[in-house]
Amino acid sequence: MRRGIYKKKITLFITMMLLLSFALVGCVPKSNSSSSTSKTEGKWAGQKIKVQMIGDFAMEDKTDPVTGETAKGMKVVKEEFEKQHPGATVDFVLMPWEGYTEKTQAMITSGEADVYQMPGVADFAPQGVLEPLQPWIEKDKEFSLDIFIDNQVDGWKALGTDSKELDIFGLPFLGDTRFIAYDKKIFDDWGVEYPSENPTMEEIAEKAKQMTGKNPKTGEQNYGIWFRGDWSSAFTLVDLAEGQNGTWGTGFAWDEVKFNLDSPEMLNGLNWLLEMQKYAPKGIVSNQGNEKWLSKDNNIAIMLNQGPGDTVKPAYAQGLGDRIGIVNEFKNDEGRGGLFAGSPITIAKSSKNKELAWEWVKFATSDFVQKFVFEEYGAIPAVKSATEWESVKEMPLMLPVFKAMETPMTPRYPWGSSQPRFILTSEIEAALTGNRSAEDALKKAQKESTEWVENR
Amino acid sequence: MANNSMEAANTATQSVNTNTHTESKTMKQKKRSSQWTWYIFLIPSFLGILLFMVYPIAESLRLSFFKSNGTIETFTGLANFRTVLTSGPFWNSVWNTFYIGIFQIIITIPLGFIFATLINSVSKGKNFFKVLYFLPNVTSIVAAAMIFQFVLHPEMGILNYILGSLGLPTPGWFSDPATSKWGVILLAVWHWIGFVIIICLANLQAISSEMYEAAKIDGASGIQQWFFITIPNMTGTFAFLLITGWIGALQRFNEVYVVGGPNGSPARSIQTMGAFIYERGFTGFEFGIASAATYIMFIIILIFTFINLKVSKMKI
Repeated sequence: MRRGIYKKKITLFITMMLLLSFALVGCVPKSNSSSSTSKTEGKWAGQKIKVQMIGDFAMEDKTDPVTGETAKGMKVVKEEFEKQHPGATVDFVLMPWEGYTEKTQAMITSGEADVYQMPGVADFAPQGVLEPLQPWIEKDKEFSLDIFIDNQVDGWKALGTDSKELDIFGLPFLGDTRFIAYDKKIFDDWGVEYPSENPTMEEIAEKAKQMTGKNPKTGEQNYGIWFRGDWSSAFTLVDLAEGQNGTWGTGFAWDEVKFNLDSPEMLNGLNWLLEMQKYAPKGIVSNQGNEKWLSKDNNIAIMLNQGPGDTVKPAYAQGLGDRIGIVNEFKNDEGRGGLFAGSPITIAKSSKNKELAWEWVKFATSDFVQKFVFEEYGAIPAVKSATEWESVKEMPLMLPVFKAMETPMTPRYPWGSSQPRFILTSEIEAALTGNRSAEDALKKAQKESTEWVENR
Repeated sequence: MANNSMEAANTATQSVNTNTHTESKTMKQKKRSSQWTWYIFLIPSFLGILLFMVYPIAESLRLSFFKSNGTIETFTGLANFRTVLTSGPFWNSVWNTFYIGIFQIIITIPLGFIFATLINSVSKGKNFFKVLYFLPNVTSIVAAAMIFQFVLHPEMGILNYILGSLGLPTPGWFSDPATSKWGVILLAVWHWIGFVIIICLANLQAISSEMYEAAKIDGASGIQQWFFITIPNMTGTFAFLLITGWIGALQRFNEVYVVGGPNGSPARSIQTMGAFIYERGFTGFEFGIASAATYIMFIIILIFTFINLKVSKMKI
């Protein structure tokens, strides 16, 4: 009798556990991950790596919501890598940009993947969780850093656990940059000359002023300029300071960082933004007012601090590729300035198959993958050879993008995703909304950022 | 012969007793074992609670005493609590949370109650109005926040268009720190009012009609009935709405994150306590500070809920 009850209990328990397991397995979206069993033949037999990627990537084919075109899935890349590396298996963990920092942190802490796409490499390298890549580069005679667009490798250098020297922990995978975009039609309507390749603050201000008001041809209200007064305003302001040969400060390791947020160049930059606000639509501090940009009814002449992802492919998709122009952000006398952005790939220190992980890093920076992610997903390549691709030549807007990628400030701003950025952003917003004078706002930002660094 | 029959009877009685005893024992065992069976059913949810609630709560408490970026940890004692409690942005976020919460509650509960009374008094179309008012509540707050950004657009928004047509000033809403909190309050009121109406309606329908009939016989007017019968009978519901409303308001995160990002743009004017925790934890890798802020927020909610319970005299 007892044995019968005991058996029933066990059966019930096992059934419950199985149901729970099925439910959990069923919850994992098929399209966002891939897994395969190990292979037993070939040079890389039995070796398996897991690669984490961030963005709009999908394993299966999917339709682009902007262009309506079908994008091939990452399974193509997987098949090619496994073909080139017999016996090897690569699995993917694909995630969206939303919350990628915390997800990456959780994954790397638990040793979930071997290779990571990691824009926050400067934050992870000091944790000692990343493999330094310099020895791998030196050991591999076939590989050269010359394949990358100038400045891209330097931009991703970071400090290791106890190091005082910047080191390579990530290689450029996806390119990104910031530039000034403009609408040629509005310039033509107003009879204003297009911005020069490296415009100054005075030039942009003058042109923005000229093109604010009723369009002489269409009679519609036009605005000379637009910039985000919230999320990315700290980068816009720092670029303005760099355009006057100023800096945000110095240092890379936190104990060496010295802020210079209330410098005369920063103050001049913020006052310039306050002046430019007069020629912008309402709503710049809430990311509003630019709704018509990249539409045929666009009413904004100049857009500051734009990125290629939101500009190039959408412009061609709307049939406005010829109407949009791109010029550099504000640069210092050495031709440098602006935010360094993009995504490097890194190898986790905990990876058990580092040889194969390194093979993946090389493969991901090869023309095959770089071209694939550009053509299928609109991701910006980080390699010089991209300028020769037919698909790039079909989009002439890509050429100034590649140029802009060569000249941002490197290494990446160490405060780019930390408290000082949010402190500065909030103070710029306070100035733009008239809650504080430009001088007081920057003094407050300087004081609070310095205190934060001292207390961390 | 007689003795024999007596013995047989005794033996039979003993046997019956033993059988009854054994049966009752078996029944008890059965009961106990069937009780244990149900505990097995609870294991999955218990494991879930243990893994996804108890462990994070305990881990967060531990983290609040450490300087942690996720992998490297240093014990700092109460330093994180001191940092949070002396941080200007934290107290600003407390102020924002309470400001938005207070106005959401003092607008929504009375307004929802008035709407519920009106819906309750109509003879036709009751269900239509219930559905109409409850719809916002089943809408995702994230989607609603995005729509409200268009509705409250400073130049192209429908609300400013109406205000402008009436010759009234057109505020900047989310682009002005002076009005951004009111933008969030409008959104919160719109989203929550359907729930308040449904709860109030449920209570209104439960009030005995005999009370109203008796009041009518005594010559009470409609307003008098509302003040002296309806409202006193609604106190339990008001207390419930007050407490649940406050807990929700103090945890506010989703809509302010969609509208103003983690730092509550513009100028931290809509950054709530939840957003402050997110900003420090997930954008700056300051997990210790974020954990300490979480516990401070927990204590604030605890104290405030206790005060609410006392004020509303609600029994739990």
